[in-house]
Amino acid sequence: MPRIRAFTLPDLNFLGTALVLSAIGLTLIYSATYFNDPGLAIVHKQILWMAIGLALMSVFLVIDYHVLFDAAPILYVVGLVLLAYLLLWGRLTANVKSWIHIGGFQFQPSEFMKIFTVLMMARFFDRHSGAYMNLRLFAQAMGIIAVPVVLIFFQPDFGTAATFFPLVAVTMYFGGIRWRIWLIAILAVLLALPLGWTMLKPYQKDRIITFVNPDRDPLGRGYQVTQAKIAIGSGGIHGKGFKQGTQAKLEYLPARHTDFIFAVLGEEWGFIGVMIVLGLYLFLIVQALTFAKHARDRGGTYLAICLISFFIFHVLINVSMQIGVLPTTGIPLPLLSYGGSSTMMFLMAIGLMLNVDMRRFVNA
Amino acid sequence: MRVYRDDQKFLTFRINALLWAIVVIFVFLAGSFWFVQGVQAEKYRGMSEANALREVVTPAKRGLILDRTGQKIIADNQAAYSLTLDRVVMRPIVKSDKSHRPKLIAFLAQTLGTMPQDIEARFEKSKAVPLARPFVVAEDLSMPQVAMIQAQAVTFPELNVEPVQRRNYPYGTFAAHVLGFLGEVSEKELGTHKELKQGDLIGKRGVELMYDPFLRGKDGAQYWEYDSHGRRLAEYRPARKSPVAGDNVYLTIDFDLQRRAEQYFAENEFVGSAIALDPRNGEILAMVSSPAFNPNTYSKRFTPEVWKTIVSNPFKIELNRAIQGLYSPGSVFKTVMAAAGLAEGAIGPGTTFDCGGSGVFFGRRFRCWQKNGHGAVSVERALKVSCDIFFYNTAARLGVDKIAQHAKGLGFGAITQIDLDGEKAGVVPSTEWAATKQHRKWYPSETISVGIGQGPLIVTPLQVAVMMAAIANGGTIYRPHVLRAVEHTDPDGSVKRSIVPPIVLRHEKLGSDAIDHVHNGLWKVVNEEGGTGGNARINGLDIAGKTGTVQVIAQSGWFSTAGLPFMSRDHAWFASYAPSGNPQMVVVVFVEHAGAHGGTDAAPLAKLLYQSAFSQEVAAHLDLTDPALLEKIKQGQIPVPGQEPKQQASPADASLGH
Repeated sequence: MPRIRAFTLPDLNFLGTALVLSAIGLTLIYSATYFNDPGLAIVHKQILWMAIGLALMSVFLVIDYHVLFDAAPILYVVGLVLLAYLLLWGRLTANVKSWIHIGGFQFQPSEFMKIFTVLMMARFFDRHSGAYMNLRLFAQAMGIIAVPVVLIFFQPDFGTAATFFPLVAVTMYFGGIRWRIWLIAILAVLLALPLGWTMLKPYQKDRIITFVNPDRDPLGRGYQVTQAKIAIGSGGIHGKGFKQGTQAKLEYLPARHTDFIFAVLGEEWGFIGVMIVLGLYLFLIVQALTFAKHARDRGGTYLAICLISFFIFHVLINVSMQIGVLPTTGIPLPLLSYGGSSTMMFLMAIGLMLNVDMRRFVNA
Repeated sequence: MRVYRDDQKFLTFRINALLWAIVVIFVFLAGSFWFVQGVQAEKYRGMSEANALREVVTPAKRGLILDRTGQKIIADNQAAYSLTLDRVVMRPIVKSDKSHRPKLIAFLAQTLGTMPQDIEARFEKSKAVPLARPFVVAEDLSMPQVAMIQAQAVTFPELNVEPVQRRNYPYGTFAAHVLGFLGEVSEKELGTHKELKQGDLIGKRGVELMYDPFLRGKDGAQYWEYDSHGRRLAEYRPARKSPVAGDNVYLTIDFDLQRRAEQYFAENEFVGSAIALDPRNGEILAMVSSPAFNPNTYSKRFTPEVWKTIVSNPFKIELNRAIQGLYSPGSVFKTVMAAAGLAEGAIGPGTTFDCGGSGVFFGRRFRCWQKNGHGAVSVERALKVSCDIFFYNTAARLGVDKIAQHAKGLGFGAITQIDLDGEKAGVVPSTEWAATKQHRKWYPSETISVGIGQGPLIVTPLQVAVMMAAIANGGTIYRPHVLRAVEHTDPDGSVKRSIVPPIVLRHEKLGSDAIDHVHNGLWKVVNEEGGTGGNARINGLDIAGKTGTVQVIAQSGWFSTAGLPFMSRDHAWFASYAPSGNPQMVVVVFVEHAGAHGGTDAAPLAKLLYQSAFSQEVAAHLDLTDPALLEKIKQGQIPVPGQEPKQQASPADASLGH
């Protein structure tokens, strides 16, 4: 049914879900910090990040994504220049050169780089159709991902570098590669593993060892997960209620407003709250994949897939580590965790996915 | 526009496959959460409410601060007891027993000897501290207080007596401005030091601030099990983290020299500063700022009364006059003038000017301090008798910009980069300075005042010491420093000591012939009859130096201001080095509002310090923190080694020189 429209409304269910998740995140952050942050500085900051994020989201919603494809190489190069600048002249913050300081604020260009890289990837797939890629195309796609990853890897911020992994998975799975390339890729990973292990910091090795063998040190390094599990488990079905979580308030629970915000949810809102939030995430993912299926062109499909792959990756890893299914990593929960760069990045991604959906009509 | 081709069905298939995979994972996650929150909820609820592990911080021992030999410990840690209250324990008791809280407050008021309102106020303040962290009710408990509290341990299980390490400065005010002090960490510092918590102590000034990262060490932790009533049960030992003690810091300070210099200021009740510095490497051997504060006062959390006495002190005891006090250098600056004049060729070794007691420059009459004049003076004699007319002429020939160039070259007008906080740069005037900073024209007549160290020129005593060191060693500007070494002990017990190497900031070209004449002049100041610094003379040791007197109030001609009110009296300078052939120590003494001139009030201390450093006599250690002893010293009942009986400055003395 081709209809000519001057303007299409964004998918309000999708947008609404994202906003509801952000609002839930804000109440959890408040609940996790109000008692030792009397000025509510953390909550206020998060509101500011969300406001900026929503503004950026509107920008990425209004501009047709085809225009963004045209601008993608420029954005990509600008992002690379920022990363290179950081590497050469960046200020060390917590032993890592990943922050740019402007006035009193700081942000991580690596988060924005994710969006720019995704635009480059989608643009790349827009140009090259076919169910399977040959080795040359595969190498090109990997190259687009590798350049920013290497720059971030040497900041050295392994955690953020690792969050580019979903793009590799998307390329291999959706790009379509032959079994020979799969074999090469797997061999490369196997060869890189021992090398990567030697480059890990001692605490990172500890995390992996603790995960493989949690009994080795149940209260030292597994302390975070144990406390998170106690928080979630003691929440029961109904939860202890808003602001009633004792695990968080007694400071047993570390990183409670960032990486372990889901444990606060589990403690205060119980199993019901956990199901609601997981349901919202599942809706977001299903909807985004529907956008991908119905997109007007290959570029739109891959744009939606690449972006939602970040959500899937972050949600699965973060939620799994709360109950010890996966090792503890510094990966925030999309839209829920406190943090400027990630909040802005995920809201921009929401805007871009809505963008794909809004322009699905060929004659729009 | 690119539309789907053959690959569309592949893509749709792959998307659907992913979708189902995700649904399966979500179901698995939902099941896991059901297991934790539904099936095992009771177990975790029990762990959360009844059996919780809590982290208790074991504070690290702060590193020691020692003198240059390591024989004297000038900052250590003292065992003390703090009373803390654990609200997690108190909560359930208060809930079940309404009379518990009033009883607790009455008990605390009685034991600590304070009013119940004060205890209530402390409780109110503690609301900012996270619930899980016990808050400090009182510090520095006496042994009877500890006993009283422990006797009531059953009634008040929420009270704990915690052994703590308190920073202690055994010599009281000794080198207080170098050491600095500690204070409770501020909001701003919490932002930059992520490892710190509210209530931690951190270096706020001096060495305690500058070398805080070395001194601080790393706190350890213990994990304790608590029961449902919040009572501490047992420690979970495998999780224990041992604290790592801070590194020890060796200062360049020579204990005896520092003590001797401080005694001098205390006995004479002088306000001012003294610096002893090694011109061969920039090490600060002594740095006095008088009056001094007692850093022990700061090791406790302040009471308002203590704070009031500190801020209301009229002499600004927190000010480190050696690096933060800005003063006119007075005649001490003639050393720079002589070196600059000779280096620029404005004067030669044989150049003489006739001093008749006054002279006219740029239409204004300038006087020499010696009303009757010095007659014909050469550069060496001009330094010796501190003739003003000679240096007025030198200044007129050089011009202010050449003077500024040499003054800056010798370290004035910029910080010396010493490893202490809050250093001031001072001012070296020039035509550019007048234009950019004052938005006015520089008048040539002002140059004449600068020639004798007056006018807008202001310096710190340390800058004078660095200048004197450069004159002494032939023009090398070292970075002055108070850190000699850092001593780190590894967990395995091995000790690593890193020694601070001398840092040369730059070399100032002085010209070897020219500098010889400056050296001769400065030697004559002390060692020839009629020199202004005769009071520093020691038989058998060649001391070279320059006196200075700075007028505080305008007057025509000089007269003794000894009898005037304190704030109107002159400042006294003496800047020197010895032995003059092979300089090993620079001594600068500055006495604020001394009343007499540099030769009378400042030079004798330099003499004392040289005696202490270069003679074999053993310095006696007098405890100046003892007020009774101090009174006896002042009354002359206890002789201070190396010092002649104190003489009253007579008017005849006062006219001796500047």
